[in-house]
Amino acid sequence: MDTRPDTQDDPVLLARFTERIAAGDQIEAGEWIPEEYRFEARRLIQMHANSEIMGALPEREWIPRAPTLARKMALTAKVQDEVGHGMLLYRVAETLGGTREEMIAELVAGRARFHNVFHYPAETWADVAIIQVFVDGAAMQTQGALRSCSYAPYSRVLKRICYEEDFHIQLGLDVWRSLAEGTPRQRAMLQDALRRWWTPIMHFFGMPDRVSPHTAKMLAWRIKVKSNEELRQQFLRRFIPIILEYGLEVPDPHLRWVEAEERYVYTEPDWEELKRVGRNGGPKSAERLGLRQQFYRQHAWIREAVSRWAAAA
Amino acid sequence: MGGRGMTTERRAETAAERDAIWERRLDAPHDVWAVFLQARTRDPHVHVGDVHAPDAEMALVVAKENYTRRDPCVNLWVVRADEIHATTASAVHMFDSATDKSYRFGGSYRKQQQVYGSAWRLSHRDEDQ
Amino acid sequence: MGGTLAAIADPAIRAAFRESLLRAADDELVIGHRHSEWTGFGPDIESDVAMSSIAQEEIGHARAFYGQISDGEEGGGDHLAFGRAPAQYLNAILTERENGGWESSILRLVLYERYEAARLQWVSVSGQEPVAGLAKALLREEQYHALFADAWLTRMSRGSDEGHTRVQTALEALWPDALGLFEATEIDAQLLATGILKAGPDAQRQRWEAEVCPVIEACGLIVPASPPRTGGRQGRHTPDFDRLHAHLTEVRRSDPEARW
Repeated sequence: MDTRPDTQDDPVLLARFTERIAAGDQIEAGEWIPEEYRFEARRLIQMHANSEIMGALPEREWIPRAPTLARKMALTAKVQDEVGHGMLLYRVAETLGGTREEMIAELVAGRARFHNVFHYPAETWADVAIIQVFVDGAAMQTQGALRSCSYAPYSRVLKRICYEEDFHIQLGLDVWRSLAEGTPRQRAMLQDALRRWWTPIMHFFGMPDRVSPHTAKMLAWRIKVKSNEELRQQFLRRFIPIILEYGLEVPDPHLRWVEAEERYVYTEPDWEELKRVGRNGGPKSAERLGLRQQFYRQHAWIREAVSRWAAAA
Repeated sequence: MGGRGMTTERRAETAAERDAIWERRLDAPHDVWAVFLQARTRDPHVHVGDVHAPDAEMALVVAKENYTRRDPCVNLWVVRADEIHATTASAVHMFDSATDKSYRFGGSYRKQQQVYGSAWRLSHRDEDQ
Repeated sequence: MGGTLAAIADPAIRAAFRESLLRAADDELVIGHRHSEWTGFGPDIESDVAMSSIAQEEIGHARAFYGQISDGEEGGGDHLAFGRAPAQYLNAILTERENGGWESSILRLVLYERYEAARLQWVSVSGQEPVAGLAKALLREEQYHALFADAWLTRMSRGSDEGHTRVQTALEALWPDALGLFEATEIDAQLLATGILKAGPDAQRQRWEAEVCPVIEACGLIVPASPPRTGGRQGRHTPDFDRLHAHLTEVRRSDPEARW
């Protein structure tokens, strides 16, 4: 699945396609696309779908332990939304080839990728606040930008996803506030969660983009809309003030705003860790993939029974 | 909608071949169902997305929670996505009018635009509101 | 929030009705908790989402009942939901069983759902307001829960021989617990005597069997002939419940002074 295609695209169709993209058009499902475009778009969307499904795992651990009935319902609803986003995204990926069944089989076999942040543990209730504010907040930057991507089915689904993610961040801020303005123990729990999540969050947008023909093509085709660093800076501009407003500490002592450059400078994250995690080598990767695999196998007889019933009906 | 299995051996289509086709059956997996939602009585049913389900009854059951948690709904339709027939993108030109059709509107061009505008708005809710 | 319980003059009747509402609240909280544990692990994404909605509604029903019961009491609904010792919860054992396979959860929902709908029905005509009005409103959400559960039960049990066997096995395990829904204590006789309850637990069980058995038999399953497993209505729970309770209260216990 990771090898780029080597087919020859019809030159007339390719020229038309390039022209339309350059004119700012979006492409619908079923229209002619270059094989490389298909490959790259599908890979991006599939990774996004995988991330929603895997992203449910850290937060769902706190549903049974949510400390009020209102929080319990809200957290269940939030994780439900993420699972629902997975559904929407797998369908979009399908329009580019393959079936959802194949993609999920690939994921549970450990052969597919999902975002780095979901390879880390959610150790306390405060982690829920950090995930909902900062992880979802980070995802919002990318998803918001990709709303103007060139593949129309993805763009449409992202509109709905962004609409729902907005609620998630509001929810997260409510939990954040209750902890930041709470007892000393609650504040300490929140600060500690922020500290533990800081590196994965800084990793989220990826290494600063290399200048390469590949990157240039992805931008020209609007499969990539903003650079990694642009998105990271956007995220920092929006979310650092929240930390400071509540009198909490930014876990990076060297992070500061440089007026002259109009950007934040920060301690360079360890990119080797990101690479390891990207190969499913993060602290929780094996456990979570194992869990998914366990349920996938457990449900095999159900899939069989259900499809037989449908075939007989 | 499209994409039933990734074919690795595929001769590249030519532009001429592509342009010749004006209609097609949607190429979706057989277990994908298109969901149409009617927000309030008298509204038209609008395509809001798809579900995977083994059969029609289950498609309706799951569509309720997958598509109406936040949106008002009084009625749902489901149909297998691969039963849907569609015009192709290359046939889009046939929807462009070349001559004045204002006789259909009994009035001015402006009125013609207004009618198009309101019919479009009826079937496209802006989720950003 | 109006006081249903405050409006009942006789303290014995008030206590009896309170206990019956607490059974409802605890049943819904505990089964909702179990259903919420399926979030992210359902057999397909769409059903995962649907089950999650059912869980939220059950927890929402619990919250509404706790609100009615705790009206005027210190700590409010959350205190009732989270603040009691395990022996003070009155949920039926059926609701507290750990999830097991999807077939067990679906079967449990099929069995529980008819009981819950019947309960909401009698509360809605009990004459005790405002909880009667509340029960009538909550009934609207129950139809979908039964629809979802029935659709799944049919497909699993009639789709394949393996499905049939697994569901039958799950039914054998759950049936005694399901009968435990109808465990009677002295409050049932009291409420029957006042006319708040129109039918006692035995009559309720018979009506429930008349609804549930045809559904089970239509799926090609055999209704077991086993005695009830009781205890839940008297606060006698299983180790499953002790683990659930510890989980449920973990965060609150970590900082009793805190607001969440």
